[in-house]
Amino acid sequence: MTDADFREAYESHKDQLFRFARRMTGSSDAAEDLVHECFLLLWQNRAAYDRQRGSMRAFLIGVTRNLAMKRLSRERTFDELQDTAAICGPIDPANRERGEIVAQAVGTLPPLQREALILAEYEEMSLDEISQITGADLAAVKSRLHRARQNLRRMLAPVLDSKRKANGTR
Amino acid sequence: MEPDDDRELNELLKEWRVADAPRSLDERVLGRRPWWRTLLTGSIRIPVPVALAVAAGLLIMAVALLKPKPNVAVSAPSVVNLEDFRPVSDLNVRVIRHGNAD
Repeated sequence: MTDADFREAYESHKDQLFRFARRMTGSSDAAEDLVHECFLLLWQNRAAYDRQRGSMRAFLIGVTRNLAMKRLSRERTFDELQDTAAICGPIDPANRERGEIVAQAVGTLPPLQREALILAEYEEMSLDEISQITGADLAAVKSRLHRARQNLRRMLAPVLDSKRKANGTR
Repeated sequence: MEPDDDRELNELLKEWRVADAPRSLDERVLGRRPWWRTLLTGSIRIPVPVALAVAAGLLIMAVALLKPKPNVAVSAPSVVNLEDFRPVSDLNVRVIRHGNAD
Protein backbone atom coordinates (compact mmCIF):
# COMPACT_ATOMS: atom_id res chain seq x y z
CA MET A 1 0.00 0.00 0.00
CA THR A 2 1.45 3.30 -1.10
CA ASP A 3 1.00 6.67 0.52
CA ALA A 4 -1.57 7.56 -2.17
CA ASP A 5 -3.50 4.31 -1.55
CA PHE A 6 -3.58 5.09 2.15
CA ARG A 7 -4.90 8.61 1.56
CA GLU A 8 -7.54 7.30 -0.81
CA ALA A 9 -8.64 4.70 1.73
CA TYR A 10 -8.83 7.39 4.39
CA GLU A 11 -10.84 9.82 2.28
CA SER A 12 -13.23 7.09 1.11
CA HIS A 13 -13.97 5.50 4.47
CA LYS A 14 -13.34 8.03 7.23
CA ASP A 15 -16.94 9.28 7.48
CA GLN A 16 -18.47 5.83 7.51
CA LEU A 17 -15.99 4.59 10.13
CA PHE A 18 -16.53 7.66 12.25
CA ARG A 19 -20.32 7.26 12.17
CA PHE A 20 -20.02 3.57 13.02
CA ALA A 21 -17.63 4.26 15.91
CA ARG A 22 -19.77 7.16 17.11
CA ARG A 23 -22.85 4.95 17.23
CA MET A 24 -20.97 2.14 18.93
CA THR A 25 -19.38 4.29 21.64
CA GLY A 26 -21.94 7.10 21.96
CA SER A 27 -19.13 9.66 22.01
CA SER A 28 -17.57 11.77 19.26
CA ASP A 29 -14.23 11.98 21.05
CA ALA A 30 -14.07 8.22 21.51
CA ALA A 31 -15.07 7.72 17.86
CA GLU A 32 -12.32 10.05 16.69
CA ASP A 33 -9.78 8.16 18.80
CA LEU A 34 -10.94 4.83 17.40
CA VAL A 35 -10.82 5.90 13.75
CA HIS A 36 -7.43 7.48 14.29
CA GLU A 37 -6.17 4.29 15.86
CA CYS A 38 -7.66 2.23 13.04
CA PHE A 39 -5.80 4.18 10.34
CA LEU A 40 -2.64 4.17 12.43
CA LEU A 41 -2.84 0.37 12.53
CA LEU A 42 -3.51 0.25 8.80
CA TRP A 43 -0.43 2.38 8.11
CA GLN A 44 1.76 0.40 10.46
CA ASN A 45 0.61 -2.89 8.91
CA ARG A 46 0.15 -1.67 5.36
CA ALA A 47 2.35 -4.44 4.01
CA ALA A 48 0.10 -7.03 5.67
CA TYR A 49 -3.13 -5.79 4.09
CA ASP A 50 -4.31 -8.30 1.49
CA ARG A 51 -6.88 -7.12 -1.05
CA GLN A 52 -7.83 -10.72 -1.83
CA ARG A 53 -9.19 -11.23 1.67
CA GLY A 54 -12.04 -8.77 1.29
CA SER A 55 -12.99 -5.17 0.66
CA MET A 56 -11.14 -2.33 2.33
CA ARG A 57 -14.45 -1.14 3.80
CA ALA A 58 -15.13 -4.46 5.53
CA PHE A 59 -11.51 -4.66 6.68
CA LEU A 60 -11.54 -1.17 8.22
CA ILE A 61 -14.94 -1.63 9.86
CA GLY A 62 -13.66 -4.91 11.28
CA VAL A 63 -10.60 -3.19 12.77
CA THR A 64 -12.70 -0.33 14.17
CA ARG A 65 -15.18 -2.83 15.56
CA ASN A 66 -12.42 -4.75 17.37
CA LEU A 67 -11.00 -1.53 18.79
CA ALA A 68 -14.47 -0.44 19.93
CA MET A 69 -15.11 -3.80 21.61
CA LYS A 70 -11.76 -3.59 23.41
CA ARG A 71 -12.64 -0.14 24.61
CA LEU A 72 -16.11 -1.18 25.78
CA SER A 73 -14.65 -4.15 27.65
CA ARG A 74 -12.08 -1.89 29.28
CA GLU A 75 -14.70 0.63 30.33
CA ARG A 76 -17.03 -2.19 31.41
CA THR A 77 -20.18 -0.34 30.46
CA PHE A 78 -21.65 -3.85 30.44
CA ASP A 79 -20.72 -6.68 32.80
CA GLU A 80 -20.89 -9.03 29.87
CA LEU A 81 -20.47 -8.30 26.21
CA GLN A 82 -22.68 -11.33 25.65
CA ASP A 83 -26.18 -10.61 24.61
CA THR A 84 -28.00 -13.40 26.39
CA ALA A 85 -30.28 -12.03 29.04
CA ALA A 86 -30.38 -8.30 28.49
CA ILE A 87 -33.94 -7.00 28.44
CA CYS A 88 -34.34 -3.29 28.20
CA GLY A 89 -37.39 -1.43 29.49
CA PRO A 90 -39.28 1.37 27.71
CA ILE A 91 -37.63 4.78 27.45
CA ASP A 92 -39.48 7.86 28.60
CA PRO A 93 -39.67 10.23 25.61
CA ALA A 94 -40.13 13.30 27.87
CA ASN A 95 -40.08 16.06 25.25
CA ARG A 96 -36.92 14.87 23.62
CA GLU A 97 -36.18 14.64 19.93
CA ARG A 98 -36.78 11.25 18.41
CA GLY A 99 -33.22 10.97 17.12
CA GLU A 100 -31.94 11.50 20.65
CA ILE A 101 -34.27 8.84 22.04
CA VAL A 102 -33.20 6.37 19.37
CA ALA A 103 -29.54 7.11 20.21
CA GLN A 104 -30.22 6.34 23.85
CA ALA A 105 -32.09 3.16 23.00
CA VAL A 106 -29.35 1.85 20.69
CA GLY A 107 -26.71 2.84 23.24
CA THR A 108 -28.53 0.82 25.88
CA LEU A 109 -28.33 -2.39 23.85
CA PRO A 110 -25.66 -4.91 24.84
CA PRO A 111 -22.60 -4.31 22.60
CA LEU A 112 -22.96 -7.45 20.47
CA GLN A 113 -26.59 -6.67 19.70
CA ARG A 114 -25.70 -3.04 19.15
CA GLU A 115 -22.97 -3.76 16.62
CA ALA A 116 -25.19 -6.21 14.70
CA LEU A 117 -27.95 -3.64 14.55
CA ILE A 118 -25.68 -0.73 13.57
CA LEU A 119 -23.97 -2.74 10.84
CA ALA A 120 -27.27 -3.98 9.44
CA GLU A 121 -29.40 -0.90 9.88
CA TYR A 122 -27.05 2.03 9.46
CA GLU A 123 -24.18 0.58 7.45
CA GLU A 124 -26.58 -1.50 5.36
CA MET A 125 -24.38 -4.58 5.48
CA SER A 126 -25.59 -8.04 4.61
CA LEU A 127 -25.77 -10.78 7.23
CA ASP A 128 -22.80 -12.49 5.55
CA GLU A 129 -20.71 -9.33 5.77
CA ILE A 130 -21.65 -8.84 9.42
CA SER A 131 -20.77 -12.43 10.13
CA GLN A 132 -17.38 -11.96 8.46
CA ILE A 133 -16.63 -8.72 10.30
CA THR A 134 -17.71 -9.88 13.73
CA GLY A 135 -16.33 -13.40 13.41
CA ALA A 136 -19.68 -14.83 14.53
CA ASP A 137 -21.58 -17.44 12.58
CA LEU A 138 -24.63 -16.49 10.58
CA ALA A 139 -27.12 -17.93 13.09
CA ALA A 140 -25.57 -15.91 15.92
CA VAL A 141 -25.76 -12.72 13.86
CA LYS A 142 -29.42 -13.36 13.03
CA SER A 143 -30.19 -14.06 16.66
CA ARG A 144 -28.43 -10.88 17.88
CA LEU A 145 -30.21 -8.81 15.29
CA HIS A 146 -33.55 -10.31 16.26
CA ARG A 147 -32.97 -9.65 19.97
CA ALA A 148 -31.74 -6.14 19.25
CA ARG A 149 -34.94 -5.38 17.36
CA GLN A 150 -37.07 -6.91 20.11
CA ASN A 151 -35.33 -4.79 22.71
CA LEU A 152 -35.65 -1.67 20.59
CA ARG A 153 -39.35 -2.27 20.01
CA ARG A 154 -39.79 -2.53 23.76
CA MET A 155 -37.67 0.53 24.56
CA LEU A 156 -39.14 2.65 21.82
CA ALA A 157 -42.73 1.51 22.33
CA PRO A 158 -43.89 4.90 23.72
CA VAL A 159 -42.38 6.71 20.73
CA LEU A 160 -43.76 4.22 18.23
CA ASP A 161 -47.21 4.51 19.83
CA SER A 162 -47.21 8.29 19.69
CA LYS A 163 -46.01 8.13 16.10
CA ARG A 164 -48.85 5.79 15.21
CA LYS A 165 -51.35 8.07 16.92
CA ALA A 166 -49.98 11.06 15.06
CA ASN A 167 -50.31 9.17 11.77
CA GLY A 168 -53.85 8.15 12.69
CA THR A 169 -53.19 4.41 12.50
CA ARG A 170 -54.55 1.87 14.97
CA MET B 1 -47.87 -7.42 12.74
CA GLU B 2 -44.12 -7.81 12.87
CA PRO B 3 -43.23 -6.69 9.32
CA ASP B 4 -45.25 -3.52 9.85
CA ASP B 5 -43.58 -3.01 13.21
CA ASP B 6 -40.23 -3.53 11.54
CA ARG B 7 -40.98 -0.89 8.95
CA GLU B 8 -42.01 1.57 11.65
CA LEU B 9 -39.00 0.68 13.73
CA ASN B 10 -36.66 1.07 10.75
CA GLU B 11 -38.14 4.48 9.98
CA LEU B 12 -37.68 5.52 13.58
CA LEU B 13 -34.09 4.25 13.68
CA LYS B 14 -33.24 6.35 10.62
CA GLU B 15 -34.07 9.45 12.64
CA TRP B 16 -30.78 9.05 14.50
CA ARG B 17 -28.35 10.87 12.29
CA VAL B 18 -24.68 11.21 13.06
CA ALA B 19 -22.34 13.86 11.66
CA ASP B 20 -19.40 13.04 9.39
CA ALA B 21 -15.85 12.82 10.67
CA PRO B 22 -14.59 16.15 12.05
CA ARG B 23 -11.69 18.06 10.48
CA SER B 24 -9.57 17.41 13.54
CA LEU B 25 -9.42 13.77 12.43
CA ASP B 26 -7.78 14.79 9.13
CA GLU B 27 -5.22 16.67 11.15
CA ARG B 28 -4.53 13.66 13.33
CA VAL B 29 -4.37 11.07 10.57
CA LEU B 30 -2.91 12.99 7.62
CA GLY B 31 -1.22 15.82 9.47
CA ARG B 32 -3.32 18.38 7.58
CA ARG B 33 -3.83 21.73 9.25
CA PRO B 34 -5.74 24.87 8.23
CA TRP B 35 -3.41 27.51 6.76
CA TRP B 36 -4.17 30.02 9.50
CA ARG B 37 -3.22 27.54 12.17
CA THR B 38 -0.01 26.77 10.34
CA LEU B 39 0.73 30.49 10.31
CA LEU B 40 0.04 30.81 14.02
CA THR B 41 1.59 27.66 15.38
CA GLY B 42 3.60 26.18 12.51
CA SER B 43 7.30 25.43 12.68
CA ILE B 44 9.94 24.73 10.07
CA ARG B 45 13.10 22.72 10.25
CA ILE B 46 16.27 24.22 8.85
CA PRO B 47 19.85 22.90 8.99
CA VAL B 48 22.01 24.40 11.75
CA PRO B 49 24.68 25.85 9.37
CA VAL B 50 21.96 27.69 7.46
CA ALA B 51 20.46 28.99 10.71
CA LEU B 52 23.89 30.17 11.88
CA ALA B 53 24.62 31.85 8.57
CA VAL B 54 21.26 33.65 8.60
CA ALA B 55 21.76 34.70 12.24
CA ALA B 56 25.27 36.00 11.49
CA GLY B 57 23.98 37.91 8.45
CA LEU B 58 21.21 39.52 10.50
CA LEU B 59 23.67 40.43 13.23
CA ILE B 60 26.04 42.07 10.76
CA MET B 61 23.16 44.03 9.20
CA ALA B 62 21.92 45.17 12.60
CA VAL B 63 25.39 46.30 13.66
CA ALA B 64 25.84 48.12 10.36
CA LEU B 65 22.51 49.91 10.73
CA LEU B 66 22.96 50.85 14.36
CA LYS B 67 26.55 52.01 14.03
CA PRO B 68 26.71 55.85 14.17
CA LYS B 69 27.81 57.33 10.84
CA PRO B 70 30.96 59.48 11.03
CA ASN B 71 30.43 63.15 10.18
CA VAL B 72 32.04 64.02 6.90
CA ALA B 73 33.97 67.21 7.46
CA VAL B 74 33.73 69.66 4.61
CA SER B 75 36.73 71.87 4.53
CA ALA B 76 36.09 75.49 3.83
CA PRO B 77 37.87 76.97 0.85
CA SER B 78 40.97 78.70 1.98
CA VAL B 79 40.58 81.76 -0.24
CA VAL B 80 37.27 83.43 -1.04
CA ASN B 81 37.41 85.30 -4.28
CA LEU B 82 34.63 87.82 -4.95
CA GLU B 83 36.02 89.06 -8.24
CA ASP B 84 33.21 87.64 -10.32
CA PHE B 85 30.49 88.68 -7.88
CA ARG B 86 27.97 91.06 -9.45
CA PRO B 87 24.87 92.53 -7.81
CA VAL B 88 21.56 91.68 -9.40
CA SER B 89 20.51 94.38 -11.79
CA ASP B 90 16.81 93.63 -12.11
CA LEU B 91 15.34 92.20 -8.97
CA ASN B 92 11.93 90.67 -9.59
CA VAL B 93 10.56 89.21 -6.44
CA ARG B 94 7.68 86.68 -6.78
CA VAL B 95 5.71 85.69 -3.78
CA ILE B 96 4.53 82.13 -4.01
CA ARG B 97 1.73 81.32 -1.64
CA HIS B 98 1.24 77.87 -0.26
CA GLY B 99 -0.80 75.72 -2.62
CA ASN B 100 -0.86 78.29 -5.40
CA ALA B 101 2.13 78.00 -7.67
CA ASP B 102 0.93 80.64 -10.21
